[in-house]
Amino acid sequence: MTIIEKIFSRGAGKQVAPGEYVWAEMNLVAMRDFGGPNVIEEYEASYGTHPVFDPDRVAITFDLHIPARSEKVAQNQKMLRDFSRRQATRLFDVNTGVGQHILLENGLVRPGDIVAGTDSHMNLLGAVGAAGFGMGTTDIAGAMYRGKLWFQVPQTIRIDVQGQFQPQVGAKDLILHIIKRLTTSGALNRAIEFTGKTIERMDLAARLTVASMVTEMSGDVGFIVPDERVLDFIKSRASGTVLPVSPDAGASYERVFDFDVAALDPQVACPHSPDNVRDVADVAGTTVDQVFIGSCTNGRYEDLQAAAQLLRGRKVADGVRLIIVPATMEVARAAVASGIYAVLLESGAVVTNPGCALCTTGHPGILAPEETMVSTSNRNFVGKLGKGAKVYLVSPATAAATAIKGEITDPRSI
Amino acid sequence: MIVKGRIWKFGDDIDTDQIYPGQYLPLTDKKEMARHAMEGTDRGQEFISSVTRGDIIVAGKNFGCGSSREHAPVSISGIGISLVIAESFARIFHRNCVNTGLPILMLDNTQNLHDADVLEVDIVTGRVNNLTRGKTFQARTLSELELEIMKAGGLLAYLKHPG
Ligand code: SF4
Repeated sequence: MTIIEKIFSRGAGKQVAPGEYVWAEMNLVAMRDFGGPNVIEEYEASYGTHPVFDPDRVAITFDLHIPARSEKVAQNQKMLRDFSRRQATRLFDVNTGVGQHILLENGLVRPGDIVAGTDSHMNLLGAVGAAGFGMGTTDIAGAMYRGKLWFQVPQTIRIDVQGQFQPQVGAKDLILHIIKRLTTSGALNRAIEFTGKTIERMDLAARLTVASMVTEMSGDVGFIVPDERVLDFIKSRASGTVLPVSPDAGASYERVFDFDVAALDPQVACPHSPDNVRDVADVAGTTVDQVFIGSCTNGRYEDLQAAAQLLRGRKVADGVRLIIVPATMEVARAAVASGIYAVLLESGAVVTNPGCALCTTGHPGILAPEETMVSTSNRNFVGKLGKGAKVYLVSPATAAATAIKGEITDPRSI
Repeated sequence: MIVKGRIWKFGDDIDTDQIYPGQYLPLTDKKEMARHAMEGTDRGQEFISSVTRGDIIVAGKNFGCGSSREHAPVSISGIGISLVIAESFARIFHRNCVNTGLPILMLDNTQNLHDADVLEVDIVTGRVNNLTRGKTFQARTLSELELEIMKAGGLLAYLKHPG
């Protein structure tokens, strides 16, 4: 069996096969400051004050419009805090960071778990071998009530990656390159397993980058088998037994794709689709108004470090805004402790409080029409960050190099 | 279950930002949400001003891709759309439709369904009758489990009294 077949077999309490419809038990149900209020309204309209299935397995995170930017948002956030108090659920307020990362840092997700949440990138939990699913508000309301949801067991695609990256090339360039080949619908209704030496060598931050962009191929979830380092990270935070998860030797895959990264150059997804991917060299010289480093895809400490390495002793180009947002408070604190926070500030960057930030229009930093932004986030759809604005998706190194030069720049040229 | 309505035709990869632009996400009232259905598409204004109750959306591949916002199907059914037919749907959008009771059908090729054609469709059998052109097509329907959820009035009602 593949990883998803094993996870659903456990969750459904019987052996399952791809294509089958099953009801599966949830290990954790999460909602956030946007979407969350709709969940609560739906929950209470249907179930009133009925207790949630397990308050310890319901988590509310604040990561989008934080701190509240309008009265309406403040009202929504209050609604979540009040609900959490009434129902005794877990709550991570505006001083924590991107929800999925917060769930991981707080030991609420273990390999093999099934997690449903309101964010479309919940599947980044596949980076530790957990089945995270982005769901609509009705699903989350139902899951909170019964602790289970319906699924169609997906087929699995295997993506095998070999080879050593060139300097300044890494996980983000790889996943953009993969999306270019599979396209935005290439993994529709499929699970993915990422395998091969290149993946095995990746640290947790890089695994999160890869797993977070499975959504951009329309995939359900992309798993990476946890190594010792990932298991240690989870064990030091989670309670109960932490078991590894892996596919059976004879697991059957619908398709297998092979990649070799040895000759891979820095990649960029051009406007307005994550699969409109080219070599950075092809669009080098394009002038930019703003650069964003952060999001659930590239907001870990290692991402800030990669940017700081280039920004140390250099300045952001005149006329360019560089906005940097750590994924979580834990990341921000580590950056303060190691001194890279100061390096980022010295370069002229605006560093804001941890959260999702410029992934969508909720956050300060939105673009004027026709402006251009280079971003380490995961999406560049039309209108996502302002009408008529153009967004290019890149790695933290390419983003930092671009901020320094004021035009799209291959980080190897700095 | 039969629906009858006029087609609004859209292309491939219509994402949820086009179906329901991000700036309206803080809205929680379903009637208010309905006023912004399909607003981010290139014919958003035309759609909102002249759509009539019962009309049918027909689209290409990967309809509803992008963020998980349930505002998308809720606004579409709120404005009066009775059915969405597409070559394929994004997973989350598909789920949201089943869970909120917006009927959908999968049709491998939507080339013979044109804008403003009138369709008569059986949601349970998947028979699509193009009344304007006198042609009939067989679409793929939802699974039994999904139809059960829809018939119960959506997921939340279903979970109260699971079958
Ligand atoms: S950064 Fe964007 S995609 Fe990631 S969790 Fe936040 S809103 Fe979702």
